[in-house]
Amino acid sequence: MSKETHMNGTAAIVLAAGEGNRLHPLTKNRPKPMLPAAAKPILEHVFDQLVDAGITEIVVVVGYKRERIQSHFGPTYRDVPLTYVTQDKQLGTGHAVLAAEAAVDGTCLVVNGDQIAASQIIRDTLEAHDADATVALLQRSSVDGYGGVLVDEERVTTIVEDPPDDREYLLNAGIYVLEPVAFDAIRAAEPRAGERLLVDGLSKLVEWGDIVRGTVSEGLWVDATYPWDLLDVSFELFDTGFIGGQSMRNVHETATVHESAVIREPIIIDRDCVIEPGAVVGPNVCLGENTTVGSNAVVERSVVDTDTRIGASATVIECVTGTGVRIGRGSTIPGGPGDVRVADRVFENETLGALLADRVHDCGGVTYVPGTLVGPRTEIQAGTTVRGTLEAETEVRS
Amino acid sequence: MCGIIGYTGAGRDEELSEILLNGLSSLEYRGYDSAGVAIANSTVSVYKSEGELSELERKLPPNTLEGFAGIGHTRWSTHGPPSDTNAHPHTGCDRRVAVVHNGIIENYEELRKELEANDHEFESETDTEVVPHLIEEAITQGSTPETAFRQAVHRLEGSYAVSAVVSGHDAVFATRNQSPLVLGIGDDGYFLASDVPAFLEYTDDVVYLEDGQYVSITRSGVEITDEQGTLVDMPVETVEWDAADAGKSGYDHYMLKEINEQPHALRECLRGRPRELEASIAIDELEGLKQPERVHFVSCGTSYHASRYGAKLFREQGIQTTTFLASEYDVDSIPIDEETLVVGVTQSGETADTLRALRAANSVGAETLAVTNVVGCSAARETDYVMYIRAGPEIGVAATKTFASQQVALAMLSRDLSGRCSSAFIEALRALPDQVQSILDTSHAAAVADEYVDADAYFFIGRGFDAPVALEGALKMKEITYKHAEGFPAGELKHGPLALVTERTPVFAMISGNSNIERMVGNVREVESRGAPVVAVTDVPGRIENHADHVLEIPETHGLFAPILANIQLQLVSYWVANRLGRSIDKPRNLAKSVTVE
Repeated sequence: MSKETHMNGTAAIVLAAGEGNRLHPLTKNRPKPMLPAAAKPILEHVFDQLVDAGITEIVVVVGYKRERIQSHFGPTYRDVPLTYVTQDKQLGTGHAVLAAEAAVDGTCLVVNGDQIAASQIIRDTLEAHDADATVALLQRSSVDGYGGVLVDEERVTTIVEDPPDDREYLLNAGIYVLEPVAFDAIRAAEPRAGERLLVDGLSKLVEWGDIVRGTVSEGLWVDATYPWDLLDVSFELFDTGFIGGQSMRNVHETATVHESAVIREPIIIDRDCVIEPGAVVGPNVCLGENTTVGSNAVVERSVVDTDTRIGASATVIECVTGTGVRIGRGSTIPGGPGDVRVADRVFENETLGALLADRVHDCGGVTYVPGTLVGPRTEIQAGTTVRGTLEAETEVRS
Repeated sequence: MCGIIGYTGAGRDEELSEILLNGLSSLEYRGYDSAGVAIANSTVSVYKSEGELSELERKLPPNTLEGFAGIGHTRWSTHGPPSDTNAHPHTGCDRRVAVVHNGIIENYEELRKELEANDHEFESETDTEVVPHLIEEAITQGSTPETAFRQAVHRLEGSYAVSAVVSGHDAVFATRNQSPLVLGIGDDGYFLASDVPAFLEYTDDVVYLEDGQYVSITRSGVEITDEQGTLVDMPVETVEWDAADAGKSGYDHYMLKEINEQPHALRECLRGRPRELEASIAIDELEGLKQPERVHFVSCGTSYHASRYGAKLFREQGIQTTTFLASEYDVDSIPIDEETLVVGVTQSGETADTLRALRAANSVGAETLAVTNVVGCSAARETDYVMYIRAGPEIGVAATKTFASQQVALAMLSRDLSGRCSSAFIEALRALPDQVQSILDTSHAAAVADEYVDADAYFFIGRGFDAPVALEGALKMKEITYKHAEGFPAGELKHGPLALVTERTPVFAMISGNSNIERMVGNVREVESRGAPVVAVTDVPGRIENHADHVLEIPETHGLFAPILANIQLQLVSYWVANRLGRSIDKPRNLAKSVTVE
């Protein structure tokens, strides 16, 4: 195949149907690809990189809370048409790719909708493709929790999720170029626990003796596994100049910043935000659209999502919020490190002041012990000290 | 009300029919009981069909049509039932002239008699058919096609946008009088259409034509002239709408897509207008507009319900305000003067009744303001001031997001005019997009709809600010489900409608913390005791759940905004009832999006 065929007219399948369980409770009302990274959804960054890499058609596999994706993007993104394919039950990445099969023709690119990979990695993979399937690989010291790949002279010999042994695996970047035969292989591979995995399809191709190319690339590649990772993802986008280019101060023209407020870079202040007198915002803060920071409040190293209001004199450090959160007057989120409890596991010394899911409402003077997680629509009475994990839709008193 | 399209250009011939069909498909929201195209080369070929556009596509010959100029039409019947013969384009006796028309020709009977006396034979029952015969007659008398078109139009009385092609001429001739017509300027062709989406995929450079202007487009250029035939220079404007906004983007219906777009629509409506630091509202385009002595709202349908809500907000600010159905607005019998501001609320800005009312207000010297969604629409051009609601294109015939945006726009307007605003008002306004999103995230309206899909009728009640939304809830239900639905201020229930209430007529009651809860509970108990199921739409569920079969909850808000939120739940109930009944949700029978006839 010639390079021209790769670069022009290649369609990309973007997998965005899953909820992202480990990001709970932020995923109560939207899927993981719609969580914020530097004041816009992760999926929007994914689309940006695809368009920059020359992709001219995008097929989005949607499922869990698909309305949020469809309503945000509509029928096109940066003039590239978007086709939505619904995967009603999320039965694995392979199953999702098969759902999109009818919407693509010939060679196609497959990427995850919840991982941001620089366009260079995508371009490298498209250019290297001369096999039945090509997988983008990254050199990482550990592939813990991700897919691992073993290659022999660029030919994939083993491809697994979460490698069980300590051989020198390369990280599977979750970017694939597939020929139509790959769809047959996915279909032929045995589902496990009712789920079809894309990597099992590729193992099947290897088993059939078809060529699966592994191509090592470099560039920004970020993924949030747990809610507090959203802080690091945004900081990394800042550090690498991935957003705003050289500019560290990104204040939208419709935002209002009072002249006595202090803005410390790097920062993003999105549309219609309001920063009241005396507030100190930044460094490393992303304020989503229509958020408000009250008088004399302090916000540092935080990702604050759309429509949130931070009350006067509140302190908000190393905090992740969902949409429509109300942090009351004088509430204190002093910042990490703290121990975070998720289900039966405790993650020690994580950099997380607090995580407040969609529409948490604190009535003011609330103190958050580092590492606190608060479920959606929970109301916290004034003057309470909270710690640990608070369930959704409850009322918390001191 | 209909949609028309015309095209000629240097592009490949086979593109012509594709351009016409794509254009018609974008105009289907204007009406869709029949459609047709005419293509001119050495002859004029006409294809037309009753029914939706797909019927026409089926009728077109398999080989791509060749031609150098074409016109097309999608029709919503005013004269004569939908049928193949009544569909446009219409032709003259020798089929050298084809015409499409949107509007009403009032003197067509007289013209028809005159033409019949001159041996012209008519095929259809439409008013339009006189036009091609008039053009044909003028050509027979020796006029050039362009002059003949002008001579024919001079004979017409009424409202019209007319477009014609003549065999042997690579031109499309068009003109307008009180019906919309825009010119699109493409890279290698020219477009004429009732509305911009018809050609937006090809160009976003447009000229909004004015009443009495004539335009002829040919492969080599375009000429705009006034009634006397003098060339006029019109500004070319760039439209910002994304052509592809017309796509359904993964939703089964435009209506559901548009319901889900409401948080975004409200963000756009609010953008830059509330000023939190100063606790004020700034509407840039209304600079210079002062607080009027009195306000008259003129509007129709859903826009009328938004006006009723807006009027309450105006009155609450001490502004003397009255609402009128635009079709009933009669400046001769209503006190009106220079101190009166007449506010026309119209989504499309082309609603004939509303335009007529605004023109009447202009003629007696009142100040006029249009609150509309469409940049460059007739209402915007004919009024002293215009405020855009910025909801983006709405394709579903049943208005949803534009109603929410109208409500929010009027709420802001009330404070802008009175100059009195509070931080609490601004804060509540800015919270609305998220509160609407929260309803969309959590609503169980679909389950409520399932429960009452077989009901005999649906009633909607509310008091005060909630009353207009009761009317709108009923209108939405009847539009898309074809079931009987009625809405009224709750106090009116016992003055008649209660006789209709049975155990098969669910009653939707809007009860918000700010309305008179005790009296609403009283009304609910009235229907409860007659066995009617009660669905409460409320931000105070604790106060009503003992009397309601179902509760559709809305977030707590500034009391003034509860109706904006309650309406979202009602939209969803109507949508899901219509969906379960398998109705044609985006294109309900007998209705069209933009009503450009009186």
